[in-house]
Amino acid sequence: MTLTENLFENLRLELRRGCLTLAVLAELRQEYYGYTLRKALAERGLEIDESTLYPLLRRLEAQGLLTSEWREEDKRNKRFYRLSTDGEQMFGQLLGEWQAINASISNIL
Amino acid sequence: MELLDRYLEAVKKHLPWQRQDDIIAELRANLESQLEEKEAALGRPLTTGEAEDWLRQMGPPIHVAARYQPQRYLIGPALFPFYLYVLKMTFFWATVIWTIVAVLQIAAQTPSELTVLATVLRLPGMLMTTAAWVTLIFAIIEFAAARCPGKFPMLAPPSANWSPGDLPPLGQQLAGGKKPHSFAHAVAEVIFGFLFLVWWLLVPRHPYLLIGPGVLYWHASPFQLAPFSVLFYWWVVVVNVVQLAWRSADLIRGSWPRPRTAQTIVVSAVGLIPLGLLLSVPDHAYVLLRNPALDQAHYGAALNSINLSIHWSAVVICAFTVLGLVWEIGRMSLNAYRKRTAAMR
Repeated sequence: MTLTENLFENLRLELRRGCLTLAVLAELRQEYYGYTLRKALAERGLEIDESTLYPLLRRLEAQGLLTSEWREEDKRNKRFYRLSTDGEQMFGQLLGEWQAINASISNIL
Repeated sequence: MELLDRYLEAVKKHLPWQRQDDIIAELRANLESQLEEKEAALGRPLTTGEAEDWLRQMGPPIHVAARYQPQRYLIGPALFPFYLYVLKMTFFWATVIWTIVAVLQIAAQTPSELTVLATVLRLPGMLMTTAAWVTLIFAIIEFAAARCPGKFPMLAPPSANWSPGDLPPLGQQLAGGKKPHSFAHAVAEVIFGFLFLVWWLLVPRHPYLLIGPGVLYWHASPFQLAPFSVLFYWWVVVVNVVQLAWRSADLIRGSWPRPRTAQTIVVSAVGLIPLGLLLSVPDHAYVLLRNPALDQAHYGAALNSINLSIHWSAVVICAFTVLGLVWEIGRMSLNAYRKRTAAMR
C-alpha cells in the first residue's frame, strides 16, 4: 500500500466511524441479532466487517444505548439487540447533528 | 466445524476472563449462522481452503479480541503533553544535579580520564531510570483518572487554568533588531559547552591537552603554578557548569530564541569571581620557582616578566568583562524602561 493509499484508508475509516454508529442505531430501532443486522445493513449498501460490528454492539450496549437479550431461534441461542430509551434519545440528537453536517457539506460543495 | 472451534478458542485466549464465555457464545452464534447460509448457498459443506479464506477475512484472533477491549493507553492524549513537559524538565534537572555531583566527586578524587569517562557513561542509565519513574507515575495518574473520572480533579491536566498572558513573547521581537538564536545554534552551544567542560576536567591529569608537547618543557622547567591555581581551575568549572545548565534549560524549555540578557549578566558576574581571584594574588605570584634558593638569581627576571604578563592579561580581560556587564545591565534597564512607557501609553 502506498503512502497516499494508506492516508486515504486512514481518513476513510475516520470518516466512516461515526457514520457506522449512527447507521447501527438507526437499524436497531427494530430488533436484530449480530449476523442479521450485518446483512440488513449490507442490503442497504453499508458493508461492515464482523470484527467491527460485533464489538461495536457490545460497546453501545455498555454505554446504555442498546438493550440485549439471549433468545433461542432456529434451535440456536442468539443475542438480540434493540435501541434502549436512552439510545432513542441519543439517536435523535445524533441524527440532527448528522443532518446539519450533511447540509453544511452540501452547501460548501 | 473444527476450524471454527479452533478460531474461537484462539480469540477467547485474548478476551477478558469475566466476559469471554458470553462474547464467544455470541460470536459463535453469529459465525455459525453465516456458515449455515454459505453452505446452504453452495449445497455442500465448505472445503478446508474455503473455511480458511472465510476465517481469514475475520482477521487474526488477537485483533478480533482486541476490538472487544476498551481503547487503552499507558498515558492518554489529554495527559501526554504534560507528561512530555515533565519528562523534559526532569531530564534537565536530573542532568544538572548529576553534573554538579559528578564534578564534586571528580574533584574529591584525582581527575583522570577513566573517572571522567566512567562518570559520563553513568548518565544514560540515570536518565533511563528517571524516565521510567516519571512514566510510571503518569501511568498511575492515567489509570486513576480513567477508572474514577471526576474524582481526582487535582490529577486532571491544568488545561482550564492557562492564561494567554503567560505565553512567551515572540522570538522575532527581540529588542535592538537582533536576530533570535536558531535551534541549531542553541544545540551546538550545548554540545560544545559540554565537550569543553569534559576537556577542561581532563586537563589537570593530562596537561598536554592544554599545551601540547610544551608539557615536556614545562616539566623540565624550573617553574611551577602557585597553589591558588587549583581554586581558579574549579571556579572556571563552576562558570561553565552554570552556563551549560542555563543553555540546556533554554533548549529544553524551547526558550532559546529569547534574549539572553539575564543569562549574560549572571554568567559574566560569576566569571568575574575567578578573574578577581587572579587579581588578588599577592605580589602577582601566579608562577613560582620550584627551587627558589637555587634558581632565583638565574630565572628571577623571567619569573617576574611571566607573572606581570599574566597580571596585565587578567586586568584587560577583567576590564572587558566589567564593561560588557555594565553594557548588558544598561540594555536590560533600557528595555524595561521602554516596556514600562509603552504599557503606560
